[in-house]
Amino acid sequence: MAASALFPNLKYSDGLTVVGISVCTALVCEAISWVLIYRTTSYKSLKSSIDKASKKLETMKTDSSINKPKAKAKKMDRVETSLKESSRDLSLFKFKSGAVVAIVLFVVFGLLNFLFEGKAVAKLPFVPVRIVQKMSHRGLQGDDPTDCSMAFLYFLCSISIRTNLQKFLGFSPPRGAAGAGLFPMPDPKTN
Amino acid sequence: MKEKKSVKFNLQQQHQNGHLSPFKFAKLFDQEASWDKDQLGDVLHWIRQVVALVCGLLWGVIPLVGGIWIIAFLLISSGIIYGYYAMILKVDEEEFGGHGALLQEGLFVSIMLFLLAWTLVYSLVHF
Repeated sequence: MAASALFPNLKYSDGLTVVGISVCTALVCEAISWVLIYRTTSYKSLKSSIDKASKKLETMKTDSSINKPKAKAKKMDRVETSLKESSRDLSLFKFKSGAVVAIVLFVVFGLLNFLFEGKAVAKLPFVPVRIVQKMSHRGLQGDDPTDCSMAFLYFLCSISIRTNLQKFLGFSPPRGAAGAGLFPMPDPKTN
Repeated sequence: MKEKKSVKFNLQQQHQNGHLSPFKFAKLFDQEASWDKDQLGDVLHWIRQVVALVCGLLWGVIPLVGGIWIIAFLLISSGIIYGYYAMILKVDEEEFGGHGALLQEGLFVSIMLFLLAWTLVYSLVHF
């Protein structure tokens, strides 16, 4: 491939090709998402209401000046309900527009699979656990568990490059939205 | 007694300006600065990514081999994050959702980035 031609002395130069394609795919996907989702007024207003509701909820949680706990709890419930509804609407909105991005990702993965099937594109500096080996050794010949398949490298690229790109461009879902949690993946509705 | 800082939300400022105030890098080491929950979360996220990249490059070049070095990375990365918000910024972690919330900012993504950098550098430099 391109990296093999540029760096003929490197045994695992195909890894660079996979990373390069992942970077380009991430940029294309974010561009598509921007056109279909992020620049629309619906998205902006939903995001704004989620941000406001989360901050309002945080203020109410830390505000000790309200003396009536029942009234406070009722008010907080209303804000929480509003937050959940806005988060749900946001998810639904992005889901509908995310189909195009999903098709692009499917095509790119198919292309990479065609190019690198059965070939180790990198060498892992550790032995992955059994369950991870199902992906890291996918389609490869031999028993060396440190041989890395395109699928695993692409998975690492997808998570790390696209999530950080979304964060850098300001396209990450608001923290107040449902599903932020311990393992924030690249925004799934644009996958 | 350890000084604790309370969170000051910038709602009024946002409404006045119509947008968040621009982030100033001098704030990164300013103990007196007030932190918005989102801003602090973002800073901790990017610190983790930088640490992941540096560790991945270093581990790959040396090279350090074996799953134990993933644990080492986690300890180093989390130690740096904890040291930053608890000792440099001296924020009150309870105001931001506790140690768990702060330590998990960008954690999973940083692990993926670390593995990517480590694997790539190791493969390209040593084979």
